[in-house]
Amino acid sequence: MKQYVTITIDGVHIRAAKGTSVLDAAIEYGICIPHLCHVPGLSDIGSCRLCIVEHVVNGKSKITTSCTLNVEEGMVILSNTEWVKKLRRNNAELLVAQAPNSRAIQDIAVRCGVKEVRYPFRNHDCVLCGRCVRVCTEMWGARAIGFVGRGNGRHVDFPLGVRPDFCKHCGSCITLCPMTITPCDGPMKIGEEYLCGKCESQLSMAEGISDTCVWCELGKGFQCARYT
Amino acid sequence: MPETTLESILEGRRSQPHQLIEVLQDVQECYGYIPEEAMKVVAEELGVPLMEVYRVASFYRAFSLTPRGKNMITICMGTACHVRGAKLLPNQVHGQLGVSAGNTTEDGLFTVENVNCLGACALGPLVVFNETYHHHTTPGKLRALIDSTREKEMEETTYEQAQ
Amino acid sequence: MSKLNNISDLNAIRKRLRSRRDSISTVITICGGTGCQASRSQDVIDAVRKELKKQKLGRKVLVRVTGCHGFCEQGPIMVLEPGNIFYCHLKPEDASDIVTKTLLKGEVIERLLYTDPVTSQKIQIETEIPFYRAQDRQLLAQNRQLDPCSIEDYLAIGGYSALAKTLAELTPEAIIEKIKASGLRGRGGGGYPTARKWTECRDTPGDEKYVICNADEGDPGAYMDRSVLEGNPHLILEGMMIGAWAVGAQQGYVYVRNEYPLAVKHVRIAVQQAREFGLLGEHILDSNFSFDVEIARGGGAFVCGESTALMVSLEGKVGEPRPKDVHTVKDGLWHKPTTLNNVETWANVPSIILNGASWFAARGTKDSKGTKIFALTGRIKNTGLVEVAMGTSLRNIVFDIGGGATDGVGIKAVQTGGPSGGCLPIDKFDLPVDFEALYEAGSMIGSGGIVVMDEKTCMVDVAKYFLTFLQDESCGKCVPCRLGIDRMLEIITDITEGRGRPEQIDLLKELAETVAHTSLCGLGKTAPNPVLSTLRYFPEEYEAHINEKRCPAGVCQALIKYEIDDEKCKGCGICLDACPHDAIKGEKKEIHTIDQDTCQKCGICIEECKLDAISVA
Repeated sequence: MKQYVTITIDGVHIRAAKGTSVLDAAIEYGICIPHLCHVPGLSDIGSCRLCIVEHVVNGKSKITTSCTLNVEEGMVILSNTEWVKKLRRNNAELLVAQAPNSRAIQDIAVRCGVKEVRYPFRNHDCVLCGRCVRVCTEMWGARAIGFVGRGNGRHVDFPLGVRPDFCKHCGSCITLCPMTITPCDGPMKIGEEYLCGKCESQLSMAEGISDTCVWCELGKGFQCARYT
Repeated sequence: MPETTLESILEGRRSQPHQLIEVLQDVQECYGYIPEEAMKVVAEELGVPLMEVYRVASFYRAFSLTPRGKNMITICMGTACHVRGAKLLPNQVHGQLGVSAGNTTEDGLFTVENVNCLGACALGPLVVFNETYHHHTTPGKLRALIDSTREKEMEETTYEQAQ
Repeated sequence: MSKLNNISDLNAIRKRLRSRRDSISTVITICGGTGCQASRSQDVIDAVRKELKKQKLGRKVLVRVTGCHGFCEQGPIMVLEPGNIFYCHLKPEDASDIVTKTLLKGEVIERLLYTDPVTSQKIQIETEIPFYRAQDRQLLAQNRQLDPCSIEDYLAIGGYSALAKTLAELTPEAIIEKIKASGLRGRGGGGYPTARKWTECRDTPGDEKYVICNADEGDPGAYMDRSVLEGNPHLILEGMMIGAWAVGAQQGYVYVRNEYPLAVKHVRIAVQQAREFGLLGEHILDSNFSFDVEIARGGGAFVCGESTALMVSLEGKVGEPRPKDVHTVKDGLWHKPTTLNNVETWANVPSIILNGASWFAARGTKDSKGTKIFALTGRIKNTGLVEVAMGTSLRNIVFDIGGGATDGVGIKAVQTGGPSGGCLPIDKFDLPVDFEALYEAGSMIGSGGIVVMDEKTCMVDVAKYFLTFLQDESCGKCVPCRLGIDRMLEIITDITEGRGRPEQIDLLKELAETVAHTSLCGLGKTAPNPVLSTLRYFPEEYEAHINEKRCPAGVCQALIKYEIDDEKCKGCGICLDACPHDAIKGEKKEIHTIDQDTCQKCGICIEECKLDAISVA
């Protein structure tokens, strides 16, 4: 017997099964909270910090990631306050400054309200979202890739740097990677990066989210006018 | 790879994944670094995926994935040492040996490492040179220490070559 | 030694050991802690033992090698009984004088006495040394009394009587009540009420529970836990046993950072001895309490001081923190209810049980009770471990105990709380050391490190130092910490290298807010504190770096020049020879000059010049 609880997100009462994360509950109801490292069916690690919301307890707001917060009866969540938008925008800005050569990340940045990038651009080809690692570990149990190192040196690699023979080239990691979505005009020239974000994010299509957002009828997933 | 030593490290710990860090620490102490072969054996014997062994070995500063030099220079970068001028010490070493923290000189004689506080703060700036603690170190003292060690190494090599 | 089967066995052996201890009146106490070992105290210990043997005094004189006394800069340290005579800065050659003159003839050796740096007077008796006298050494005093590798010493001075009392008279609820009434709060930095943590753990259903001692003391500049664990490991074990009884745990872990090899060694010996005596194991002292302890070493990661990272590390994995939406008292080690406390928190438990909650609560302020050990280091005369009642003012600690500035250079600030804390300027020195008071001022007590900074310390450089530290130690999992700290460091580096722009200050503050509120764990959440507190209290230093491209303290290498004073230079050539970068030019007997393009500002020339002719501009 599944147990259900009622929570409130942005004033809307939502019924969700116990054990569901706030993010999943919100998305199911069409309230799209931006996210990057979340993949339906895989574990949530709360590393991108884009899905942050205000969790109101005893009148005080705590910022936490909605993907790691499980629903509980009477929970009050605010996903779209000025404060949350600002914090989310700043994190998105950090991401796009790190890897502007990704259509998906450019799109996330613009959708999270980034208007200008105040840091020098870098041209990294990985934002450490961990989607590839988690699909290989959890969906396939293969562990052909994983995180290695710490802090700035953290990166994704094969065991001992060599592709193991149990990697079956399934391509799941590449499909999920936000960096491998083809840039529109070709890669940006080094030293001439800029904030773009004009393209549709393929991310939402890859996840197969089909519901329309309750806030407008413009379309699917990230296509929320309220974030621009 | 002396199988017996790795064998003794693994004794009593087989199929116990949570012993991974302790095992790696013993491997580090034994070989001076974590050889790839050792990681493969440890993965097999403890029942931990190789990816995870590699991940743990690369995460913790206590483990080195490359062999260490003959002489270990560990510079304390704690706050108390820093306000007493410890910042000048890595610069000094870099100028003299051409290596920065975490690296070994080409001739394999020296490995330099920074450590975030050894807990002997009242005696800073602190440098540990081959397990001997040197307190109140200045760039000049460190320079002299490296020079004298190098001279000794040269003498030994010349002696060995003469034999 | 045979196993203690019950409390009366314990009392009997304690009585025997105590009378044996009291029967020896001549004792040489030598500090064998890490600090003194760094000053080669082992050579002194060996020399003294050799001398005693030579003079056939081996049986009459007891040499007791203790743990850290907390006065490391004076090491190697020795105290002689009878007389409580304090000798410092010892060398092995002093052994024969000490034995022949002081021990045998009662003559005090002047040159070995401690000189008070403030009054320049020599002080003979340990308890009269102002540094010690001004403290309230409830915990540290025990270090002086015992050999950490001897459970007999610990028993003789009353050890494990709190455990006996607990098992004989107190229910778990009663213990938690006592801890609650005492007002004990976590000493690791969080200041979380200990009783509340224990209650939450106790109330979580489950037969399998754990207690953990967090000895991963990672704050650079803090070594209180090292001293207590190295010097009195049984005290920690006893505290953990009492806590385990209270929350319902049967297994404990002590997680020690591997940079403390002596602490690891001593606590391993202590566990071994406790097991032999039956103080760890099944049905301890004939009660229905069974408990054992395992020691785990850290792998060299500051982030493993964070509770979830520590637990994950104990499970043999990388120390990446987990979200704490559910507390670790409910879902901790192996997803079981776990009580994790700092070394000093555990150390306070036995005395609260023995002396009572009101004894503990008699010291301190309204919300911060008891004593706290601080590691007082940096640019002051007396550095070392300082234990004072909560509520003591910073001024008292820095000037009365610390003795004030070294080198006649004015004190500017103190940094408290390690990389999670902040810098407080001299006009805040009347603040009491109290959890809330320091937090409101923009810093925190943290684990207890107090680093004193003077006019020669650049506060922007201090912010850069802490950001560099945190960038290196960040686990790298979450965006605000990994990228945010990186970008803050990028901005501060620009400022210290003369590329700073005024608008960067606002960006720094906004970025700091984001990192503070959206990071996954405490490391990231508190990372902006050093930056924010230095911006708050020392804005003029930032302004000088940005607007004038000048470093007032003369530290930031890109903004300073080393210059040779024409009037002082005699052309001796010492600096030229010493310079590793060939940046100094000049003929013999003629004024030398420094080539600014080649100069790396390593400081060797200043060190070598005998005429003080080179200075920082």
